[in-house]
Amino acid sequence: MDPSSGSSSAGEDLAALMTRVASRDRAAFAALYRATQAKLFGVVVRIVSRRDVAGEVLQEAYVRIWEKAADFDLTKGSPLAWMTAIARNRALDEMRRPKPLAIGDLSEGFDPPAEETDPLASRDRSERLAALLRCLDALDPEKRKIVLLAYYRGASREALAKKFDHPVPTIKTWLRRSLSELKDCLSS
Amino acid sequence: MSLSPEDDLNAAEYALGTLDAAERAEVAARRQREADLDQAIVGWELRLAPLAEAIPPAASPRDFLGDIEARLGGTSLTRDAIVDLTKRLRFWRASAVAAGAIAAALAIGIALQETTRLSAPHQFVAILQKSADQPAFVVTVNLDDRSLTVRPVAAPPQADKSYELWIIDAKLGAPRSLGVIDQSNVTANPKLQSYDPAIVQSATYAVTIEPPGGSPTGQPSGAPVFVGKLIPTGP
Repeated sequence: MDPSSGSSSAGEDLAALMTRVASRDRAAFAALYRATQAKLFGVVVRIVSRRDVAGEVLQEAYVRIWEKAADFDLTKGSPLAWMTAIARNRALDEMRRPKPLAIGDLSEGFDPPAEETDPLASRDRSERLAALLRCLDALDPEKRKIVLLAYYRGASREALAKKFDHPVPTIKTWLRRSLSELKDCLSS
Repeated sequence: MSLSPEDDLNAAEYALGTLDAAERAEVAARRQREADLDQAIVGWELRLAPLAEAIPPAASPRDFLGDIEARLGGTSLTRDAIVDLTKRLRFWRASAVAAGAIAAALAIGIALQETTRLSAPHQFVAILQKSADQPAFVVTVNLDDRSLTVRPVAAPPQADKSYELWIIDAKLGAPRSLGVIDQSNVTANPKLQSYDPAIVQSATYAVTIEPPGGSPTGQPSGAPVFVGKLIPTGP
């Protein structure tokens, strides 16, 4: 059982699929794709913004999920958390590639989903999310927002510096301090 | 944990996504060979993962399953055997003995013999890996004719880079290139024929990440990402 995968029955189903995918079961891989692609597309498109790019990143992520399935370890987290990390890393690699920064995409009218939807009210919220939100609450509001923009939108230090009107080194210091505080808070 | 506080924060920013392109590439390369750093990144990814629960699903432009499956093809038969044995490799590692990895590597060698129908004696195999549970390439050598094949098992694809294989032995002096190896297919390499069989057998085999087409200098551009030594594949 893993609370971060939403309802426990869905998490168990995904874990069973992952085990079959690790043994090279193509049918299980198709089922895993059907069960998770909309979620992962949601993760990726928020970071890369463009739907065509997000589609390409999504394909790369599933190829990697297939290739790395045998490495998945249920004792270290849910299948969805593992797959999400792979999809985010593919998306971030795409965004950090040297090319004009999409600062324009970041600067106007967007807010992190956590503040749009109030996940605490969601019926799917997990204890882990609740714990993480409690720790995020302990951060200064601006620093909290910076961490969430980085997570949800893949905002770079430069984009955050521009949006919040602070020098890049200040953003870096804040990010690192915030992450340290989150770690301490989560382990306390 | 033996990881420095600085590297734990590098892992944290890698997981969050705020490293710049150069830092990100450096951490991505280092995690391939530094298990502590890799584990720290995974730890941070899991700490942050609950945030993704709040992300609503979104409809993709079309169904990509067919495209994805087309990219998976090619090596299913061999991979079946290897993945099965990879699990055994992990089991051995879980028993916390280095000898276990060697036993499982032997098992991989035997499986390779079966799937590639190698019957000649003097067969050797090397598992090139970054850590005991993550074999990336399997090298097989037939000492009789000094033929060498390199088979990718779980080598991460390198966009705009090449993997290059090296033979390293004190008797050779500097590392010698055995050429660029294919990321997704078996590479058969004839260059081994000029080497003394005793050196072929005792050498270390290493893979580096190089510019497309291989190292421009004839020497490795960086530290090896995967290494291994030959062991005999007994009957």
